[in-house]
Amino acid sequence: MIEDMTGAASPPEALKLVLYVAGQTPKSLAAIANLERICAETGPGKYVVEVVDLKKSPQLAREHNIVAIPTLVRQLPTPIRKIIGDLSDREKVLVHLKIGE
Amino acid sequence: MAIAASEDDDLSIRELRRRLEEAEETLRAIRDGEVDALMVRNPRREDEVFTLEGGTSYYAFMEAMDLGAAAFDEGNRLLYANKALRKLLRLPMEQIDANHLGQVLDDETRAEVRSLMDEAREVKKTTEISIFLGNEELHLLVSAAPLQLGANRGLAVTFTDITGKVRAAAAEASERAAHSIIASANEAVVVCDVSGLVTHANAAVTSICAGSPVGQLFSDAIPLMLPDATGLLQAGDIVALAVSGTSVQGIEAVVPNAPRVKDVLLSAAPLRVGSDKVSGCVITMVDLSQRKAAEKQQLLLMGELDHRVKNTLALVLSICKRTASTEETVDGFQSAFSGRIQALAATHNLLADRSWSSISIAEVVSAELEPFVSSAQARLTVEGLDAWVMPRAAIALGLVVHELATNAVKYGALSNESGRVLVNVTKSADEAWLGIEWLESGGPAVRAPSKRGFGQTVITRSLQYMPSGGADIEYPPAGVRCRIRVPDQDVVRVG
Repeated sequence: MIEDMTGAASPPEALKLVLYVAGQTPKSLAAIANLERICAETGPGKYVVEVVDLKKSPQLAREHNIVAIPTLVRQLPTPIRKIIGDLSDREKVLVHLKIGE
Repeated sequence: MAIAASEDDDLSIRELRRRLEEAEETLRAIRDGEVDALMVRNPRREDEVFTLEGGTSYYAFMEAMDLGAAAFDEGNRLLYANKALRKLLRLPMEQIDANHLGQVLDDETRAEVRSLMDEAREVKKTTEISIFLGNEELHLLVSAAPLQLGANRGLAVTFTDITGKVRAAAAEASERAAHSIIASANEAVVVCDVSGLVTHANAAVTSICAGSPVGQLFSDAIPLMLPDATGLLQAGDIVALAVSGTSVQGIEAVVPNAPRVKDVLLSAAPLRVGSDKVSGCVITMVDLSQRKAAEKQQLLLMGELDHRVKNTLALVLSICKRTASTEETVDGFQSAFSGRIQALAATHNLLADRSWSSISIAEVVSAELEPFVSSAQARLTVEGLDAWVMPRAAIALGLVVHELATNAVKYGALSNESGRVLVNVTKSADEAWLGIEWLESGGPAVRAPSKRGFGQTVITRSLQYMPSGGADIEYPPAGVRCRIRVPDQDVVRVG
């Protein structure tokens, strides 16, 4: 499952995020919902988000060396950053993504 | 080179530090329950997802269940709905979420289930709902209980289809109501199956059939005769007609062996339970005993009326003839005849009011004297007339009193202002009659009539229909005196 959660054309300065989930486990569903909320609150159009379901495509885990699920990867800008968990701690997510930098 | 080597070493250290941090963060997240799945490498060296709650066997078990079940997370997101639930609620087989489930429910049941789920976070809760899927009504028992999914707290909700049970309970209640209705009916009600065997009979049937007819053929349990039907229609045919779908209504029947009610009005109708198929018949029998008794009474009364009309006509004819033979002018005839007919009518009216049973002598005397003198006037004294007489005596007495009053008005005590009339009753134990005395006083001096008129004949003979009855009239100068004898046989009671 790969989705563009913003639904808009990606601007050059956009953050590229990849959320790795495992089907419909509670934490995966929670992570999707939490990320949707954070994106909507901190500026639609700022993010390009991919959601990767590792249950369907387990081989995609190797790209970012994913071990625990759910994990959110900030792919761009570099360096790559990872946030592990269901993204329920909003402040922690924002700090890790360095939103506003 | 040294510088370059030093830079490489620095990068390795930075990279190693980053990897260490990531590893520590991963371990912390696992320990803190922030993840519920891990990537593992299977024996074939392939990556695959391993869910920490070990859900595979759990899901396999849930899928095999007949009971509709769903799991929700803490935010009421639908995590899973098993096959039985998807089938029960006609949900899509894949990719379903809480919205799909919500759409099946209407506003009321949606709110009810939501409230149940909120309450069930701590302790198991159950409720009953009914929903419509298309035209079909579905009754569901919804049960929600807290559920620990690995590190997460969720909610397990089960949906049990109790439609069959609810319908069975409704059918049972309906059957109980039907039984109560049959049992409460005043009419005798018998239910037969298609073969004519009695399956139910209410309490009223005991007045028609000694012992319980249940289990017997209707025609054997309650042998009927249908006096108004031709020989072609027998009791057994009525059941056969009803079972074939034809209602039979209002047939008079006689039950010769009935313990109490022998005359009944019979109706039979096909019994349809749930479908159009006839599963037996319902026979009702209304007690006609009272109606039959009333019909007999009516026939008796009609015979009696016929007899009385004939007697009255004969009496009227006789009065007419005799009045005509004694009156010299048409006016005289008209006056005397109409007076006598009115006297007859007055007594008839009294008797009609009493349904032709006995009436009091006082009433007869008052009715006959009313055209001439009121009993309230001082010149009329009536004493001890509270005896009651039968219709035959009443009619005769009415005519006698009428003649006496007519005579008194024409020639006697009522022809002037000072005359008086005394009417009283005498009764001696050794006499076979009740005596009524008519005494006039204060009128003009009386002279006996030179010839015997019809009035005198009416007075003396009217009560002579029996040897003890009759009347004697005398004409002393002080006033007319008449002694009337009413036969004891026609005196009902003496006051």
